[in-house]
Amino acid sequence: MTKVKICGLQETEHVKAAAGADAVGFVFAPSRRKVSVEQAARLAAELPESVERIGVFVNADLAEILEAIEKVPLTMVQLHGDETGDLIRSIPVKVIQAFSVRNQKDVGKLEQSIADYVLVDAPGIEYRGGSGRTFDWTLLEHAAIEPGRLIVAGGLDAGNVRGAIESTAPFMVDVSSGVERDGKKETDKIKEFIKTVKGDSMQQTKGTEKDNGFFGRFGGQFVPETLMRAVKELEEAYAEAKYDPEFQASYHSYLKEYVGREQPLTFAARLTEAWGGPRVYLKREDLNHTGAHKINNAIGQALLAIRMGKRKIVAETGAGQHGVATATICALLDLECVIFMGEEDIRRQQLNVFRMKLLGAKVESVTKGSATLKDAVNEALRYWVSNVGDTHYLIGSALGPHPFPTMVRDFQSVIGKETRKQILEKEGRLPDVILACVGGGSNAIGMFHPFVNDESVRLIGVEAAGEGVETNRHAATLTKGTEGVLHGAFMKLLQDENGQVQEAHSISAGLDYPGVGPEHVHLEDIGRVEYNAVTDEEALASVISLSRLEGIIPALESAHAVAEAEKAAAGMGPEEILIICVSGRGDKDMATYAEKLEGLA
Amino acid sequence: MKRLQTLKDDGGKAFVAYIMAGDGGLDRLRDQVEYLQGTGVTAIEIGIPFSDPVADGPVIEEAGNRALNEGVTLDKVLLEMKSWDFELKIPLIVMTYLNPVLRYGAERFAESCRDAGVSAVIIPDLPFEHQQLVAPYLKQAEITLIQLVTLTTTENRLHDILDAAEGFVYAVTVTGITGVRDELTEEVKEFMKTVRSKSPVPVYAGFGISKTEHIDLLRDDVDGFIVGSAIVKAFHDNKIEDIEPLIDAVTHSNPV
Ligand SMILES: Cc1ncc(COP(=O)(O)O)c(C=O)c1O
Repeated sequence: MTKVKICGLQETEHVKAAAGADAVGFVFAPSRRKVSVEQAARLAAELPESVERIGVFVNADLAEILEAIEKVPLTMVQLHGDETGDLIRSIPVKVIQAFSVRNQKDVGKLEQSIADYVLVDAPGIEYRGGSGRTFDWTLLEHAAIEPGRLIVAGGLDAGNVRGAIESTAPFMVDVSSGVERDGKKETDKIKEFIKTVKGDSMQQTKGTEKDNGFFGRFGGQFVPETLMRAVKELEEAYAEAKYDPEFQASYHSYLKEYVGREQPLTFAARLTEAWGGPRVYLKREDLNHTGAHKINNAIGQALLAIRMGKRKIVAETGAGQHGVATATICALLDLECVIFMGEEDIRRQQLNVFRMKLLGAKVESVTKGSATLKDAVNEALRYWVSNVGDTHYLIGSALGPHPFPTMVRDFQSVIGKETRKQILEKEGRLPDVILACVGGGSNAIGMFHPFVNDESVRLIGVEAAGEGVETNRHAATLTKGTEGVLHGAFMKLLQDENGQVQEAHSISAGLDYPGVGPEHVHLEDIGRVEYNAVTDEEALASVISLSRLEGIIPALESAHAVAEAEKAAAGMGPEEILIICVSGRGDKDMATYAEKLEGLA
Repeated sequence: MKRLQTLKDDGGKAFVAYIMAGDGGLDRLRDQVEYLQGTGVTAIEIGIPFSDPVADGPVIEEAGNRALNEGVTLDKVLLEMKSWDFELKIPLIVMTYLNPVLRYGAERFAESCRDAGVSAVIIPDLPFEHQQLVAPYLKQAEITLIQLVTLTTTENRLHDILDAAEGFVYAVTVTGITGVRDELTEEVKEFMKTVRSKSPVPVYAGFGISKTEHIDLLRDDVDGFIVGSAIVKAFHDNKIEDIEPLIDAVTHSNPV
């Protein structure tokens, strides 16, 4: 949720009006809004604990800054001058560095900042520290700056702030002149501004979790009491990490340096031609190190586990992609790793089993139930219950008790964020249709989430219809399932009339799960995302077409999205744009392809 | 459930026996309950089989799978219990995972439990914060929802949970799942003392209790014991007599 800062406060009345904001700013630099340290201390005393007190300085020396930090006391410092990295490093509280941004060169400067947050402002006219003119948001579209570090200021008011939030998705918005009349702050305007931003965050919950871990009616924390503490600790740890620039920087640096992001959005010329409909683009998660999107999440969670002081990891895996991603990260970060995998999946994904072992993970075969993903999750949960003190459960999809579905979505959202930026670069507009396959739902939610508020973009999730949704051998949870609780969340399940969870069936091990993440169930419930199902046979046919037309052998899971895309494309025109998330490459499925597609070669 | 408090007030210790409904066929359930009642147990916990029992270890899970293969359902168990005409002198407690309850309908579940003579319900995957899903209906039907506390329950939570506790508190003795254990730690003893000092209702220790040594270790710090896997296993092996010394170890010194 975007935070609000009200800046340049001088009167008790206005400070009180700003109590509902997340931060207030006191200006110590020359300005008509300047206050003394003593004045600021008196005003700050009127505020609730939870509101950040930010001191604004322009080229002040360290002694002056430290004095204000101590006396007010300030919880953050905002710098508007030409302060050096050395000065910033000497400040004991979090630092916001402000930049006037007129052009791409200015954006470059801001990308270099070592401060915890960067504040983007319209160029100053009278005084440094803010001008009151609105800023050209599009300049930021390509900036290599995490939204979690970004504060947007400059000419904001209740009328335009929503636009600013939508185009930049910042950590915080900062207002000063926008809540003034004739150069003086106004109580009503302050309140209206806060309400507009917070109201906007309510709007955003359309596709997002609320504090208690529910997406609409779905989600929650349905776990045995033994796990409640771990789940709550994780919730807290993630809430902190999510807004910690250092954590985000480290996560993104692994994505770049180790996974090889960003991944291309490839224009599929021959597929476009063959389908005779929309311009088709492929988001290339298959190019990630280890071969699928799963590693985006594995890195994020492993870093979080280390932050929480846990050096043992347990995970489940279906296709083995998540197991391989987890084993890989555990090798890289020197973590102990146990992977539970259904016996049936071990059989069909032998190559991945060997990869995990080679990477030093312990692979535990699960022979219970259907011996597939659902049963592997059960065993991983049991293992977690028994080893909760020193072990993190690194769940592999947007499933499980809160905060897992939110956290996994956030770590996978890099897919959608990159895609959004890339398609704007290539086509200058948003796509018409985006498709992704849905097992538990992590690649799909990561792709969809950054587009959920763009109502013009049609989002289609593709489930596995196995031998057909009219048979009882499928994994089409959203199409055929009913509401229920499994693995910690209220979601949709394949279950019988007595509430016993049924076995799912799909040729693709990664889609072979009888539940689906709670956010997807919510997005279906409110009609924002459509979910369709594709059979084993259709998916196999698409493996052939993508291989032969584009030279890309997709994972079986991803082939489901390709098959549905072909159907969607049939009703689309050449002016339209369609994007498919190719969640992984087909290496792991080669034995299945060799068996099922024999005679082709 | 009042008699549980009376037993405590009189200085006695409770023995709660867990059985998996329908392990070996639903027609065995009645005999098992009558038998256990005859051995002098304080209450009987009747487990409903579930496809994904994540709080349970292999013994109970396998028993559940056997029951599912026999076609046992929540509905059938409650109907079976409703049909009983022998004299029941001890409380019956239903233990079920949440999903079968939601599927059955929480309100209908509460009513059927009442009709079947059930006194209390335990739902291991329904944490304190989500109990509103079921609790109001149980209250309406005058059925107690048993609260669980564990070694990992934080102090604040413990306070809130004990505040809401009725009947007895289920204090989990292990950081883990159900199952037969060799040893219990000293930490467990301390934990039981803490819970007991704060609880308004009797405190029973459960999960992993399978030997007289476990009972000797905790006897002074709890008001009773819940024994599951050991009984389920004994019934399955047709060696239920072997369990009697364990029951006696708890109840033999009880006032009559
Ligand atoms: C390549 C690939 N795509 C998709 C999936 C499905 O998972 P999810 O729905 O979480 O993206 C898997 C799971 O193993 C996978 O390996």
